[in-house]
Amino acid sequence: MSETIHPDDWPQDDRDDMLAAEYVLGVLPGDERQAAKDRAELDGAFAERIAAWEGRLAILNAAYKDGPVSPETYPRIEADLFPNPVPEPGSPAAAPSARSIWRLWFGGALTAALVALVVTFWPAVQPPLVAHLQGDALAFDASFRAGILEVAQSGPEAEVGHDYELWAIGSDGVPRSLGLLRGDRVEIPTELDEGITLAVSLEPEGGAPDGAPTGPVLMAGPLAYD
Amino acid sequence: MTDDPIGRLLQATATHDRDAFRHLYAETSPKLSGVLHRILGNRTEVDDAMQEIYVRVWQRAAQYRPERGAGLSWLIAVARNHALDRLRARPERQGLRQEVARDADGQDPLDRVADSAAGVEDRLVARGEARRVMDCFDELENDRAAAVRGAYIEGMSYLDLSERHGVPLNTMRTWLRRGLIRLRECMDR
Repeated sequence: MSETIHPDDWPQDDRDDMLAAEYVLGVLPGDERQAAKDRAELDGAFAERIAAWEGRLAILNAAYKDGPVSPETYPRIEADLFPNPVPEPGSPAAAPSARSIWRLWFGGALTAALVALVVTFWPAVQPPLVAHLQGDALAFDASFRAGILEVAQSGPEAEVGHDYELWAIGSDGVPRSLGLLRGDRVEIPTELDEGITLAVSLEPEGGAPDGAPTGPVLMAGPLAYD
Repeated sequence: MTDDPIGRLLQATATHDRDAFRHLYAETSPKLSGVLHRILGNRTEVDDAMQEIYVRVWQRAAQYRPERGAGLSWLIAVARNHALDRLRARPERQGLRQEVARDADGQDPLDRVADSAAGVEDRLVARGEARRVMDCFDELENDRAAAVRGAYIEGMSYLDLSERHGVPLNTMRTWLRRGLIRLRECMDR
């Protein structure tokens, strides 16, 4: 029981699963933690292992008691997320009501704080990462900024019984599904970096069943700054 | 997941419904604050982390999968990951937990973890699944179960654990991994 086995001597499958467990537990030192996190972004099977461990250990969440919440935090979150006074399309009613409630609560002080926070947290305007995926009759234009990947489609929809599925492929070469591409335009919340390759494959309706592409890859291209 | 109001609020947030997001925050921020205080133990840092976490929740709510678990579990996973990233990025002693993060009354945190684990059982005993999972923890030797709980709940690193249990780092790692394999075998049975 007390003998020491070097982690490198464990079978590969166990090593991956233990690494996922250690990531969920949080015991890894900073560099190993970051490496595991990077891998989960690109390696779907490893991300699945992490999700499974999160499920196994979730029961321990009940040990957390409620903590104090600063009344200043929510206005900061709103100022961070919705710095633009023009309501976003799609939620014209929600935005003013949320804002007016907070204005009632915090009055002029909030307005002053919001101005300061908007100045502080207004994201620096960054060029998007883009990829143009061109096929014969079909094309996808992908643009990634601030955690959102927008993909515009031009050309025919996938044939009946099939879907286009979008994949991100990093330096390890393992495709990670970003979801199905249906309709003219989709928005996908995700994290991507320069140099990651986007690829579109033709899959059975509903997407590749096992999280790895099964159909023909129709097109691929790297993400780069515009 | 027939009755998971938090999960439903998360799904509404994924459609950029700001009212749903505000309700989600009101319902869940005390719990996430509790998680962050437990792991980070620093009020100023907790407030900053709360802000970053809910911004991330807004941006990534679409990644929540109701079939994989309760909405609150997903939120706690996001909060724990963020807190652990912060903790391990701290320059002092390579991301060791600060002493301030320990109990204010000087109680050994692991003793309290044992106490709170009893609370876990009380609250969730009606669910057969929860009962089974607790049984799996009970099958582990006490110090091994305490190490798993201490790591998960308090955010202890391998270095913290090896100091606490007075064993070399690699021994600690082998020992904890054996415990994790036992847990996995028991829970997946």
